[in-house]
Amino acid sequence: MACVKEWLWTFSQLPDGGTILNDRRLSLLGVRVKTIAAIAATAFAVAALVLGTGGSPPAAAQDGGKPILTIGLQQGIDNMNPIRGYTVAAFEAWNMQYATLTDKKAEDFSIAPGLAESWEGEGQEYTYTLRPDLKWSDGQPLTAEDVAWTINTSREEEWLNHFATTGNLTAEALSDTEVKVTSDVPDPKLPILDVYILPKHVYGEFDKKGRTKFDGQTSVGSGPFTLDEFKKGQFARFKSNPNYWQGQPALDEVIIRKYNNADAMVAALRSGEVDFVQSPPETQFLSLEEDDDFTTLKGAQGGFDELAINGGDGLKKPHPALEDIEVRKAIMHAIDKQTIVDRVLRGLAEPAQAMSVSADPKWTPEIPADQQFDFDLDKANKILDDAGYEDTDGDGVRVMPGGGEPLNFRYAVRSESEVSPQIAEFITGWLKEIGIDTTQKTYDDGQLGEVIGRGDYDMFVWGWTPYVDPDTQLGYFTCDQIASDPDDPLNYYNDANYCDPEYDKLYKQQKVELDPEKRVQIVHDMLTRFYSQAVYLPLYNQADLQAYRTDRFEGFQRQPAETGPVLFSNTSPSYATLKVPAATSSNTAAGGGGDDGGGSAGLIAGIVIALIAVGGVAWLVMRRRTADERE
Amino acid sequence: MTARFVLKKGLGSLATLAFVVVFNFFLFRVLSNDPVGTLFRGRNLNDAQKADLRREFGLDGSTLDQFWAYLKQTASLNFGRSYATNAPVVDEIWDKAGATVALVGVSTVLSTVFGILIGIIAAWRRRSAADYTSTTVTMAFYSMPDFWAGMLLLSLFGVTLGWFPIGGLQDPTSDATGIALLGDQIRHMFLPALTLTVAYLGEYALVMRASLLDTMREDYLTLARAKGLRDVKVRNRHAVPNALLPVVTLAAINFGFILSGAIAVETIFSWPGLGFATYEAIHGPDLPMLQGLFLFFSASVILFNFFADILYAYLDPRVRTG
Repeated sequence: MACVKEWLWTFSQLPDGGTILNDRRLSLLGVRVKTIAAIAATAFAVAALVLGTGGSPPAAAQDGGKPILTIGLQQGIDNMNPIRGYTVAAFEAWNMQYATLTDKKAEDFSIAPGLAESWEGEGQEYTYTLRPDLKWSDGQPLTAEDVAWTINTSREEEWLNHFATTGNLTAEALSDTEVKVTSDVPDPKLPILDVYILPKHVYGEFDKKGRTKFDGQTSVGSGPFTLDEFKKGQFARFKSNPNYWQGQPALDEVIIRKYNNADAMVAALRSGEVDFVQSPPETQFLSLEEDDDFTTLKGAQGGFDELAINGGDGLKKPHPALEDIEVRKAIMHAIDKQTIVDRVLRGLAEPAQAMSVSADPKWTPEIPADQQFDFDLDKANKILDDAGYEDTDGDGVRVMPGGGEPLNFRYAVRSESEVSPQIAEFITGWLKEIGIDTTQKTYDDGQLGEVIGRGDYDMFVWGWTPYVDPDTQLGYFTCDQIASDPDDPLNYYNDANYCDPEYDKLYKQQKVELDPEKRVQIVHDMLTRFYSQAVYLPLYNQADLQAYRTDRFEGFQRQPAETGPVLFSNTSPSYATLKVPAATSSNTAAGGGGDDGGGSAGLIAGIVIALIAVGGVAWLVMRRRTADERE
Repeated sequence: MTARFVLKKGLGSLATLAFVVVFNFFLFRVLSNDPVGTLFRGRNLNDAQKADLRREFGLDGSTLDQFWAYLKQTASLNFGRSYATNAPVVDEIWDKAGATVALVGVSTVLSTVFGILIGIIAAWRRRSAADYTSTTVTMAFYSMPDFWAGMLLLSLFGVTLGWFPIGGLQDPTSDATGIALLGDQIRHMFLPALTLTVAYLGEYALVMRASLLDTMREDYLTLARAKGLRDVKVRNRHAVPNALLPVVTLAAINFGFILSGAIAVETIFSWPGLGFATYEAIHGPDLPMLQGLFLFFSASVILFNFFADILYAYLDPRVRTG
């Protein structure tokens, strides 16, 4: 070390030294370059050893084996406040935290007792009787007053997620356990009352403005699990609720963890960091499907993607040929939905017929075989020939009857969808075969939303995910939902830009039809009619891809039965029934099995690295010494 | 160094910042038009509810009105509320800044130190095996996309070996606090920090090597040797200090970009930092969040450039007199 002092001294004598760098820095950058490197390598190895072999225990087995379900998701909970949040992740969190007055059965969404054990009434007035002695998770009584307050306040303040249900309702608490609900209009949704009931002793403490600004981070709830810790953009942890009306759940905690990358999320499933993943990438899903350690499923909830043609009733007209239903029918016959499903979606979806308007398949009609637009290019060509669209100049593109404008349509592609460009390739290829040319233009979803409102397009492929009650999805295609103000081109829902007064009439009928079977029939008629107008061709019904570790938990419930997802469904009934299988519970408590191989392997590898590093240090030191001697 | 020099640089920085404030507003309004439509698509909202949201977001007035409101807000250091989460932008940024500064700061320091050391060794022993090896390796690191390197490290250390967690900042199942929590966070930071260090390392090593090679041709090094100084001393006292100048500039400028995070690495390792927040805010677009973030990033770049100017003038007298 004597030499260190010597350098410092010499340096300070240098004519140019003082102005460049002070000597303290130089000692860092001096001869000991290699020593520093060696120390760093050792530090790295030790850090890897210490940090690595600490090993994260498998997700299900923390804290001496308390059962914890960890869910991996790519979306964050935007807001825990049901008045303001909007992401799917947030809805899942509220499904855990807040019970509803009436529940929905897992099998078929039919009405089931929830906070209310019974109800009576008919038409526009129902009286619900709450279960006796209901309590919030903090022990406060949950009474009819909480229910009435939620319904009335959500109506007055037009809460984001409540108003569609409660906008026409007035509630009155008749006693601690009885609440009377009256509707201003005939409401076929009643007696279903599926809005989250909020604790008045928490949300009632704010004024209107304060309520919307509240971040919702309260542990007070009435569902199976209530919030314990929330780290925005990272995770939310929920603890089982001892006062849940179905009894305290078997699981101790549920954690929703956000991953910013889908492949990393699946890696976390494989490493045991999470037990369940929502929407893994298709390729990963297919490989998990072949692995016995994981259970995979395709959970259909009514979501679909459609090919929409500009129906011509919006702010701008489409290509004139598209106002001819024969041309639209020819296009429909030129789409091979099965091929799109097989080739683009890797078989992970189902070809669709009528538009799906509900997570419950009973609302979607079967289109009679003779009215279906089956894939038949000859038929499509014949329809166009018969209608007078001919290729007069032999360039492969048909022109308007009597000559003139060629059939060249503007096809809008979504940049934010991985499948949209591929589907566009297939569809435009088929159209080419029936003499229709296309010009593709790519938009992000924000832009496309506006393009559709302005009517500046001929066709696009996009999708919807409907609610359980079909009213909302049906309502999107009424005439008054078409964009009508060029200065406000995003104020619309009807992205078919198609207006059919007969459809509107049927829509109003179903909205007040209180006989459930008659209402289903009206909806079927509407959708069959809408299909036949060939402006909106559902291509396929999507599925939520889900995968979970097979050995960790049992009691997953699909909603609806057979076809639905097990989590992230309409009411997420699985949380109340999930438990650790009896046979493996000791295994779980001991550390989950199967994943802890990394621990000892890690230790060995860590030691090897440390040895290499120490050897490296020794070598460098030796070398330096001999180098000095050589010099 | 004169006070006048510092003052001049300081005023220049402030002017740049003022320009950024104005530019920010218009930049993001080019993106798209209706955050309410994008964020709440498919939600069952009626026209009145949508209009309420637009009013709440301050999107109902003319662009000029919105600009004026934005200027007034920004002047009082109020950046509004995020559209996406309805929380104050300042809180959102503050929440994430710590994670980013820790990750990118540590990696920048490590890559600077190691990059410089490697560059010195390589240049001083030019054409030796050490030079060829380190130049090849750093070249490979430099050209390797960081998301790819991250993915490799993740599958090796996270899945195959199971040493490190896949993502996040801490283990959500643990109630650890204090030292235990810090240890947990360091474990989570290890892989992303390693990825970033490797990704940045090459640049410093190559710049340092090139700069030192240039310096080595200088006459004063021959003189130093002629004086009888040992090789090591020639390197450390005469060559390296002069060769460091470009690296110091590079490091100072890079430090300015620390706050803007590392989007690819924050994505792969689910690191809840500012880089990924920016990526998310563009979708929507979450205008107040984007404005807040970019103002924050610009301010940090401007600040560090200011420091770099001062430092450079301190290190190299020609700058302040010239």
